[in-house]
Amino acid sequence: MAGSSPALVAAREADAVAASAVKALQAAGEQAEARDRYAELVARHQRRAGRIAYHYVRDAAEADEAVQDAFVKAYQHLATFREELPFDVWFTRILINGCLDRIKARTRRERWLVPMSARGAAGDGTTAERDVTERVAAGGLSPEQTLLGRERRREIAAALSRLPERQRSVFVLSHVEGRTSKEVSALTGLNESTVRVHLFRAIRKLRALLAHDIAGAQGELKGRRRVTS
Amino acid sequence: MSLLERLGQGHLSDATFARLWTDGAADPHLEICATCRERFAAFSLWLGGVGDAMRDEADEALTPDRLAAQQAQIARRLETLDRPARVIVFPKAARAVISGHSHVRRWVTVAAAASLIAGFGLGQVVPLRTALRKQQAAPLTKQITVERAKEIPPASTPLNDEELLSNAFARSHVSTLSALDDMTPHARDTVLRRRK
Repeated sequence: MAGSSPALVAAREADAVAASAVKALQAAGEQAEARDRYAELVARHQRRAGRIAYHYVRDAAEADEAVQDAFVKAYQHLATFREELPFDVWFTRILINGCLDRIKARTRRERWLVPMSARGAAGDGTTAERDVTERVAAGGLSPEQTLLGRERRREIAAALSRLPERQRSVFVLSHVEGRTSKEVSALTGLNESTVRVHLFRAIRKLRALLAHDIAGAQGELKGRRRVTS
Repeated sequence: MSLLERLGQGHLSDATFARLWTDGAADPHLEICATCRERFAAFSLWLGGVGDAMRDEADEALTPDRLAAQQAQIARRLETLDRPARVIVFPKAARAVISGHSHVRRWVTVAAAASLIAGFGLGQVVPLRTALRKQQAAPLTKQITVERAKEIPPASTPLNDEELLSNAFARSHVSTLSALDDMTPHARDTVLRRRK
């Protein structure tokens, strides 16, 4: 798990400066300047926020909306932001709460609707397969590699979706976003040792669910060694 | 961790790898066992690959175009926070009629109400109807009443039921219905038959 690297420390300092400036501008009634300054924070955290939201809601459009809502909400409540907490941690908490609300709302909605089993498949596969040729051209990968990679991602997503909610959250935050246990604890409101337990269980379960994937990783490792020697 | 693992006689399990990776701790067994070192390296590589795959998947879904549009949308939404929502003006005529602020409608309503009240009040104060009737009908009615009185037969004493019934049967019929009347059995015949 990633610790607090110097780059991260520097980024957090920049965030704190920008957030304080936005707060001061908001208090002074200079809204246009405040918005301009806030745009820096948006640009810096947008992609990361999108990834987190996407892994929660599993839908690009909904993740997009969740990120927008979180940024607007954070701007509106910036006066309540305390500098002792990193901006990204504070913001991510807003984002996660928004995503969880969306998941709850969706569950409620789907309870009254005809189950759309095709929906998940369409979300994972159809849109992705639609523009496969475009991406192959852009990424320089062969069609086979692209399809294999996509298949693997789909398997991982399926395995991840089988994890309990908390384990999935902790795994996404700590592994995909490189948060420390302490940060994940601050983000999720869980105890730090509980975070570690959830992470351990998530990895163990994923390992069992993706057993065939590990053989591939071992083969890859041997291949790399042969090349280096 | 089992004692065998500690002594280097047994290899580390996947669960131990997961624990080591989670806690970032070191295990003495890894230093002495090349197989486990290799397995742990493969485990770390696999886990890193899972993270990469997840990041790639999200990045594939959230394209740069989408992110740019999202940024613009956030900026727009933040701008609208400062301005109160603009209310689009509803067409004037329709609005006046719906809301009841139309001058014409107001005047029509007021006039109708005023006429109603005035008419009611006047009706209470002046008995116009009876006065007019008396004025117009007084000379005529006398004449007509006298003429009609001559036409009307003098009222007879009330008849009994049988007489009333026979009178009713004896009344002239509508010629067009006489055919139908002939075909219909009559109560009169039944009564007569019974008498015989």
